[in-house]
Amino acid sequence: MNPHRLRAIVRRVVQEIRRDRPSLALLFIVPIAMTGLITFIVRESQAPTVEVVIVNEAGARGIAVEGVLRSALEAGDVTATEAPDVAAARTMIEDGDASIGIVLPADLGEDTATITLITNGLDPSGDAAQVAVVRQALVDAAASAAGARLPTISHVTVYGVPSEDPIAPYAPAIVAFLAYFFVFILTGVSFLRERTGGTLERLMATPVTRGEVVVGYILGFGLFATLQVAVLMTWVLGTVHVPAIGPLPEFSIGLGIAMAGDPLTAFLVVLLLALGAVSLGIFLSTFARTELQIMQFIPIVMTPQFLLSGVLFPVSTLPDVLQPFVGLMPVTFAVDGLRQVFVAGAGLSSPVLRWDIAVLSLVAVSFAVIGSLTVRRDVV
Amino acid sequence: MATDAAAIEATGATDASVEPAEPDAPTPEPAIRAVGLVKRFGPVTAVEGMTFDLAPGRIYGLLGPNGSGKTTLIRLLTGMTKATEGHAEVLGVRMPSRANLVRIGYMTQSDGIYPALTAAENARFFAAAYGVRDDTAVTEAIALVGLGDRARTIAATLSGGQRRLLSLACALVHHPPVLFLDEPTVGVDPLLRVQFWTHFRDLADAGDTIVVSSHVMDEADRCDELLFMRAGRMIARGSREDLRAQSGTDDLEAAFLVFVGAGEVAA
Repeated sequence: MNPHRLRAIVRRVVQEIRRDRPSLALLFIVPIAMTGLITFIVRESQAPTVEVVIVNEAGARGIAVEGVLRSALEAGDVTATEAPDVAAARTMIEDGDASIGIVLPADLGEDTATITLITNGLDPSGDAAQVAVVRQALVDAAASAAGARLPTISHVTVYGVPSEDPIAPYAPAIVAFLAYFFVFILTGVSFLRERTGGTLERLMATPVTRGEVVVGYILGFGLFATLQVAVLMTWVLGTVHVPAIGPLPEFSIGLGIAMAGDPLTAFLVVLLLALGAVSLGIFLSTFARTELQIMQFIPIVMTPQFLLSGVLFPVSTLPDVLQPFVGLMPVTFAVDGLRQVFVAGAGLSSPVLRWDIAVLSLVAVSFAVIGSLTVRRDVV
Repeated sequence: MATDAAAIEATGATDASVEPAEPDAPTPEPAIRAVGLVKRFGPVTAVEGMTFDLAPGRIYGLLGPNGSGKTTLIRLLTGMTKATEGHAEVLGVRMPSRANLVRIGYMTQSDGIYPALTAAENARFFAAAYGVRDDTAVTEAIALVGLGDRARTIAATLSGGQRRLLSLACALVHHPPVLFLDEPTVGVDPLLRVQFWTHFRDLADAGDTIVVSSHVMDEADRCDELLFMRAGRMIARGSREDLRAQSGTDDLEAAFLVFVGAGEVAA
């Protein structure tokens, strides 16, 4: 590896990205905007508006239950109306006059009694929120009818504080995935241009080795990946309060997501992942002929990572058949590593974190080796 | 070495359609040598048994229609692709040889320059890739192709012809004694074309060996010697006067067709 040639390649890669404004925006502004939006949505999500319609099929017995239920619902700021029968309640929900229906059955009070809840069904997660509110009211009503008061349930965790900031558990996954995704796209497209633009062919006609090309790319893009991760982490973890100036109200910059561990350790984890993404981009550019095809790798390469790495679905809930694949996804280890740092406050002495870092390093190195093997091949 | 050359001359002579090169020349050590070069891509044979020597200090025109194997031949000679059979030598070194690449300039058919970099940055990058660290070489190469006043222009904003010139500058920034130019004048206007050929002639006069591929026959007039290629074979070789005389026509285009016809009869 000749240091002068290597430096020339790194400098060239850096010069190219520096002048490419859309790419800079993709690297630095898009992740900030996306994390900002996600955090805003998760933090500021509203309690669902619940409008209950009650159908009493139990006659006089039902009226007493309905009264208790109503007061329980009203205690939770939920309004309740009445419908004469199930069909009328369904119509009200259909028309948007009510969001959930409660049917008190004719056999209410007997062992076989089933209270039916009716929801719209178009939006399952919205429905679930409605059902949860009504369930709670039903439990409260039952308790108060029995003259009892339910104990308050409190949830604590070994690591972190669960209720403090709803975005905190997701932040590691989001940071890891964004860093991986954008660095992959940029490197893939950029290396593809090198292949199709004839510059790689030309470079291979110089004494430059393919190892130098790949390492040069890793260092050049690695530099931008480092900056990206640094900016993203600062944004995610930091808060800068700007006091009110003139007519402008005071505001703060940064998401200020609390982290238990050392930011530098988290930085290391994301950086290793991003370096892996550089090599992956180089490797996959072999199989693409056009930039569109690099985009087509997103569903093939990125979606499985997204689905299987615990970014969206917890790894433990994935079907058994998919479990072996979880261990094949580099993002899995970054997400886990970052959770260790963010939530559990793990440091470099933690064996779990060490394992994650070891796997990420191995992935980065092996993709780099595979990537460099693809360089001379099919240079047309 | 002399016996080797004789052997190769003999091999060349057995190929009925190929004329031996310059029988009267005192054969200096060839700058470029192809020995039974064959390149197959699966069932397709791109280059089919080419054997020749090219003397230093001359401009060779590699002429033939699209798909006749010119680019593949250049890639074989520069060691960019592996020969299925046979081998190539440049300045006495068997290709592919990474160390030998510093003595070879290669201008690819596509511009092969970085559009986001300035003209000077492009030349500087390729200079560094060849191990040239002296920036005057960069300035000289840019000036040589007449882009001195555009050195700080981003390559993407140069005209098509200027990009070809920059591509040429990148190919000769390290002063290679052997230069392969794959269709260097495609998309270049007649005025610039003259400029290109003036450069090529100057370089050849200084002792460099230049192989230029083209499918434009009128460029052939500017070469010292022509190699006609068709379907991966060399169907004729000689100076333009030789080829005109052999084919009995004044027009090189017509001459090419005569050789094509002869090849088909022979086959």
